[in-house]
Amino acid sequence: MIRDITIGQYYQTKSALHSLDPRTKLIGVLVYLVSLFLFNSISVYIIATIFLVSVIILSRVPLSYILKGMKSMVFILLLTVIFNIFLTPGVPVFTFWKFRVTKEGLIIAGYTAIRLLYLIVGSSLLTFTTTPNNLTDGLESLMKPLRAFRVPVHEVAMMMSIALRFIPILLDETDKIMKAQQARGADFEHGNILRRAKSLVPILVPLFVSAFRRANDLAMAMEARCYRGGDGRSKMKPLKYKAQDITAFITLAVYFAAVIAAGRISPI
Amino acid sequence: MGIVETKDLTYEYIRRDEEGNVEGITRAVDGVTMSIEEGDFIAVLGSNGSGKSTFAKHLNAILYPTEGSVFVDGKDTSDPANTWDIRQRAGMIFQNPDNQIIGNVVEEDVGFGPENMGVPTDEIWVRVEEALKTLNMYEFRKHSPNKLSGGQKQRVAIAGVVAMHPKCIIMDEPTAMLDPLGRKEVIRAARALNDVEGVTIILITHYMEEVIYADKVFVMDKGKIAMQGSPREIFSRPEELKKLRLTVPQATLLAYELKRRGLDLPEGILSGDELVREICLRTGKDMEQEKYKKALSEFAN
Repeated sequence: MIRDITIGQYYQTKSALHSLDPRTKLIGVLVYLVSLFLFNSISVYIIATIFLVSVIILSRVPLSYILKGMKSMVFILLLTVIFNIFLTPGVPVFTFWKFRVTKEGLIIAGYTAIRLLYLIVGSSLLTFTTTPNNLTDGLESLMKPLRAFRVPVHEVAMMMSIALRFIPILLDETDKIMKAQQARGADFEHGNILRRAKSLVPILVPLFVSAFRRANDLAMAMEARCYRGGDGRSKMKPLKYKAQDITAFITLAVYFAAVIAAGRISPI
Repeated sequence: MGIVETKDLTYEYIRRDEEGNVEGITRAVDGVTMSIEEGDFIAVLGSNGSGKSTFAKHLNAILYPTEGSVFVDGKDTSDPANTWDIRQRAGMIFQNPDNQIIGNVVEEDVGFGPENMGVPTDEIWVRVEEALKTLNMYEFRKHSPNKLSGGQKQRVAIAGVVAMHPKCIIMDEPTAMLDPLGRKEVIRAARALNDVEGVTIILITHYMEEVIYADKVFVMDKGKIAMQGSPREIFSRPEELKKLRLTVPQATLLAYELKRRGLDLPEGILSGDELVREICLRTGKDMEQEKYKKALSEFAN
């Protein structure tokens, strides 16, 4: 079940987007998200659509793969659309029992749906084209200024990359524990939600115990290999901006300028 | 002075109850004095709870002695200023291969140690390549460690230590969680490091088969050194080993029993091949040697 979710997964291929610096992509996603929320105008949405489509083409990630990831988001999308349609006050289009559908509601629902969809596709393109390690490296490097405010940036990035390494190991372990409990007659499939939640306790307890033990072992192994925090550490794969990153930043700036211009000229 | 020197090393685990009162004291290591020369292949044998792992953790400054002292490459481990030097010079391999690999890609994991030491980027790449080639894992450099076998994972872990250019590698039961094939891989790698690179190896284990290549063997029991000597000397005393809950390799045991029943054989035979040679030498059946050899090596495997 957990393995079926494609959102947030890395899609292995070679493309212009894959070879960009993770920082460029992170900033790009941020700028794109901001641009989506700045204006409520059709021309801005057209520009945003063109931009997103060209980025998808550049990324060489198949559309079907992207849409598969959207499946899990359909529910959230529908929920926001329905709330927006029924709960926005304004000129009524038609009434249905106690609910009133308004013209404003329909417009806002449409905008919100597009925004959310673009937001999810845009940010999942980041994870499709960036390996988790690169992503944590990029985050660490971008958040470095926060160190002045005593945010443990390096430690958080290290924790993220260790967590990523241990996800498959802990999944395997969960599987093993479940089988061991099933072999002794545990039932995870029947009964109501409360019962099923209760039956998870004998899985979670040994899983946590083993995770703590692993953490302890890992901490010792890291110390034995001279790990002493981020100070004085060199990088095996330091991040470097390349020519293509400059091109990407220029494209991004042009896009953002176009959005602002379009939003100013035609505010609707 | 040797690369590793311990003098009356004693370590006590203090068990406490919930209020922090001392419930009991367990002496895990009890007055161990040991001197290890650079370039040696040392094996430390012992059954469960003999204190061998606790002893190993002292050589890497993970634990500090309660009494006595430990010197690694002439540096006192109980001085915090020496900790990082010692950990770089005496690398450590642990039992569980999964719990000591940090990187998401093999080459990144091997680079972890040099990164911590602040080695410049270009040199890290050189060291990683060298280390992976030494351990025959170069073709796996772009793989995820999760997809490797136990023996391969353990070799990655060793490469990670080798990339730090240590003088000495302590292996704390590196084969305990591996299948027989993985065990062979790891022991072969350890021997190659010792032979070719001249790295001092201290192998902590309870598998007797793994110590026959060692220059010197220490047997630990209840925190003390119970026996020491060459593998041949140790293996010629199977009765004593049995009392320490250790079993000798089958060929050694067979030779010992044959000798006890009157056959004229030398003491402490280590392998099936050696036993065949000795028997043939004494019976004069050179023609039959190949046949015996084949039969016995099949038996030994």
